[in-house]
Amino acid sequence: MKRLIGGMAALAALGTGAFAQNSWNGPTDGDIGMVPAGSKLAEEVHFFHDGVLLPIITIISVLVLALLLYVVFRYNVKSNPVPKKFSHNTAIEVVWTGVPILILLVIAFFSFDLLYKEDVIPDGKQIVARGDGATTAFTFANDFPPSRTAAAPKHVQVFKGTAAGAEGLVHGRDYTLVGLGTGTVAVNLKSAPATGETIVIRAGRSLVGGAEKEIALAPTMTLKATGYQWGWNYNYPDFGDFEFASNMLPKEKTTPELYRFEVDNRIIVPVGETIRVVTTARDVIHAFALPNFAIKIDAVPGRINETWFKADREGVYYGQCSEICGVRHSAMPIAVEVVSRPKFEAWVDSQRALAGLEPMFIDGAAKFADASAAAAQ
Amino acid sequence: MAHSHTHDGHTHDARTIDHGHDQADMAAHDHKPSFFVRWLFSTNHKDIGTLYLIFAILAGIVGGAMSGLMRLELAEPGIQWLTAFVPTGTEAEAEHFYNVLITYHGLIMIFFMVMPALIGGFGNWFVPIMIGAPDMAFPRMNNISFWLYGASGILITLSIFAPAYQNFTGFAGGWVMYPPLSSNTGHPGPAMDLLILSLHLAGASSILGAINFITTIFNMRAPGMTLHKMPLFAWSVLVTAFLLVLSLPVLAGAITMLLTDRNFNTAFFDPAAGGDPILYQHLFWFFGHPEVYILILPAFGIISHIVSTFSKKPIFGYLGMAYAMVAIGFVGFIVWAHHMYTVGLSVDMKAYFVAATMVIAVPTGIKIFSWIATMWGGSIEFRTPMLWAVGFIFLFTVGGVTGVVLANAGIDHYLHDTYYVVAHFHYVLSLGAVFGIFAAWYYWFPKMTGKMYREWLGKLHFWVMFAGVNLIFFPQHFLGLQGMPRRYVDYPLAFAEWNYWSSVGYAITIAGMGVFLVAMIDAFFVYRKKAPANPWGEGATTLEWTLPSPPPFHQFNELPRFDKGAAHAFH
Repeated sequence: MKRLIGGMAALAALGTGAFAQNSWNGPTDGDIGMVPAGSKLAEEVHFFHDGVLLPIITIISVLVLALLLYVVFRYNVKSNPVPKKFSHNTAIEVVWTGVPILILLVIAFFSFDLLYKEDVIPDGKQIVARGDGATTAFTFANDFPPSRTAAAPKHVQVFKGTAAGAEGLVHGRDYTLVGLGTGTVAVNLKSAPATGETIVIRAGRSLVGGAEKEIALAPTMTLKATGYQWGWNYNYPDFGDFEFASNMLPKEKTTPELYRFEVDNRIIVPVGETIRVVTTARDVIHAFALPNFAIKIDAVPGRINETWFKADREGVYYGQCSEICGVRHSAMPIAVEVVSRPKFEAWVDSQRALAGLEPMFIDGAAKFADASAAAAQ
Repeated sequence: MAHSHTHDGHTHDARTIDHGHDQADMAAHDHKPSFFVRWLFSTNHKDIGTLYLIFAILAGIVGGAMSGLMRLELAEPGIQWLTAFVPTGTEAEAEHFYNVLITYHGLIMIFFMVMPALIGGFGNWFVPIMIGAPDMAFPRMNNISFWLYGASGILITLSIFAPAYQNFTGFAGGWVMYPPLSSNTGHPGPAMDLLILSLHLAGASSILGAINFITTIFNMRAPGMTLHKMPLFAWSVLVTAFLLVLSLPVLAGAITMLLTDRNFNTAFFDPAAGGDPILYQHLFWFFGHPEVYILILPAFGIISHIVSTFSKKPIFGYLGMAYAMVAIGFVGFIVWAHHMYTVGLSVDMKAYFVAATMVIAVPTGIKIFSWIATMWGGSIEFRTPMLWAVGFIFLFTVGGVTGVVLANAGIDHYLHDTYYVVAHFHYVLSLGAVFGIFAAWYYWFPKMTGKMYREWLGKLHFWVMFAGVNLIFFPQHFLGLQGMPRRYVDYPLAFAEWNYWSSVGYAITIAGMGVFLVAMIDAFFVYRKKAPANPWGEGATTLEWTLPSPPPFHQFNELPRFDKGAAHAFH
């Protein structure tokens, strides 16, 4: 477990540095599009809307408008005093039945792919190995359920971690795969990694992302969100028996811009890791929503619902309760702070300390204090 | 009036067959009952239609005023106006009151404005006339249908002022009334019970009305008027009536279960006792989705007549148009869970509902393109009803394509319960169904009242309202894409600009309604121009234009015939 997480932290580092860490991720007054994507999956949602649906619906609306304007000018009583009397044209009726079906098939092609990516919790696995200057073959157990095994080259990704960061290797050029679809898969590298170099192998079918797809790993932790009138309660079942309530900050305790977004206790999650979110509610139905990650899931009393997200960069992300829940429905926002793994561990230990529990990540608290001090300056 | 024209090689003017003298007879035998007997005990489909229209206008004023309060409060961030409208003046009660407004605005506009106007009003007035029937099949049931609506209206009004939550009045859980917010957990007071009973009565009224329409259309068509010769408005009401009969009992069941949960310790929707709140949502939307087609289908029928009349051309693809409505009605029953993509459905179930929902775009597209094809090659006169109809076609298209966006669960996880949804359903209902209602009003006003309105006032009403409603609802797409949740009394600063413009749009819309009021007062009291039997000319081919304006108290003492070699206008 520890090794796995360490390897992932190394890998996550490559996706982190490129972005400004404290940039505003929420809505911007006067903007007309979606809020910034905070994950690879959200980028796909953006592509589906901005790149597929929006052009299609715009073209259809403009076409209908153009046809209407044409008949308005061409066939008004002055331009065309004598009306024609036709009322059938089989060819054109076949066209305007058939073409929409084709358009819908195009939409469906993207839609179903995206839906299954969103709703199937990733189950990718990661193997971290160290080079010794001689070994070129690294194997992993392809022990997924039958329909989820790594069966094609795209189901395996290999990275080489060096001091400079992680470098993606290319199938065919840098390595070959043996045993796809069977119980054990071997990654045969063309050249042996040097001693101390890290080889990271990711396997699984949870491919997300547009141009640069990545294999999303199985969740490393679960966040449990419980809605109540009117706030949220959060548990981290993987990290011990602590929980905290998260309530909206009143106007005088926050900035005008953050009012109705900011809470007293934010959710803290580590960057670059798959977070399983489970929701439920104590009284009436609420909905847990984070637009930056394109997730929204109802919190229903008596039920446990599930979704997931994986933040690609650190920062603060806001959402708001999205199912009417009574008087203060508009006063139960959701705030997530995505932090580095060390900061997260330090935070977990600080929460455990509050609950009277032993630290889980021995030296975490010190790191957190350092980081907080650095952030304060 | 005795005009005829030909197409497809047929003479199709059934009206000229022998009822020229007939109407003179009818006028002579026009025994109108005394005022109270006529309006309270009415069994006359036209009088009942008029009552429904008056009812719808009153409800529309109330529902429209509610949206005015909402847009006033939302014009700027913060809660600054509604505190002035609640007894205690506290922010909490203002928040509750906002939720009351969104709830009753939805319920009133759906159940007490659009449905009574399109089905009760125009349906009662013109379905019997269009099919050549003297009245509805069950005139006395028609009367009780209306008065059940009256009782229902009283109950929903009481419900607004009855205790609901703590010391606040009025149910405030949205028109969908999801438990546990609508059960004792969320709203223990009697407001919700009154609301349930109100919807029971409204539902019973609509079911009786629907039975009446189905029976009338199946049994009372004039000789020779086969279903495939029947005008499209009658077709639209027929399909709507089937949707009502099949869907309303499911709503009645759901709210009855809610009522017993609230009062008799049942636990259909109470998870603490083994019930399931999501069951309610399935039942509600099994009704609720057909309901949105109930609201729009009659408008489809009306738009077909108006487009045909003012283009002076028969409807393009008449059979396709009729069966597209049947298809929309059928598919409308098997798509309900697309309102529930975020409740925790399994992914395969969502995939099914995505596919089924997108199918609806096909018959809807057929209708849009067939209307344009009807205009194509026509000699179009842009009288007031035609402006509303053309506006309807474009705005319904815009609302329809955003529906295709929302049909995709993958994107709905982002957009569900945001203003994008609000914009979508107001484009199809507020700008679709309501534009259909105004189109019908201006189209049939001369027929119903015997008076003309000033053309330029009707056109001004259209243009002001067209600008206004677009300014209200188009920016709401942006708010939704930016993530603003619906049913929020207050919002972060970043949503301020588009909310402001949306409220400006409301002010323009109200100005448009002012023009409407002026146009009507002018028509009745100033202009007072008598309407001819057919003010629209050769394109108006359905039976109502063969009768004087207003029609006699009883029409068709001798039935018009369509069987002696006369083909119907729509072929």
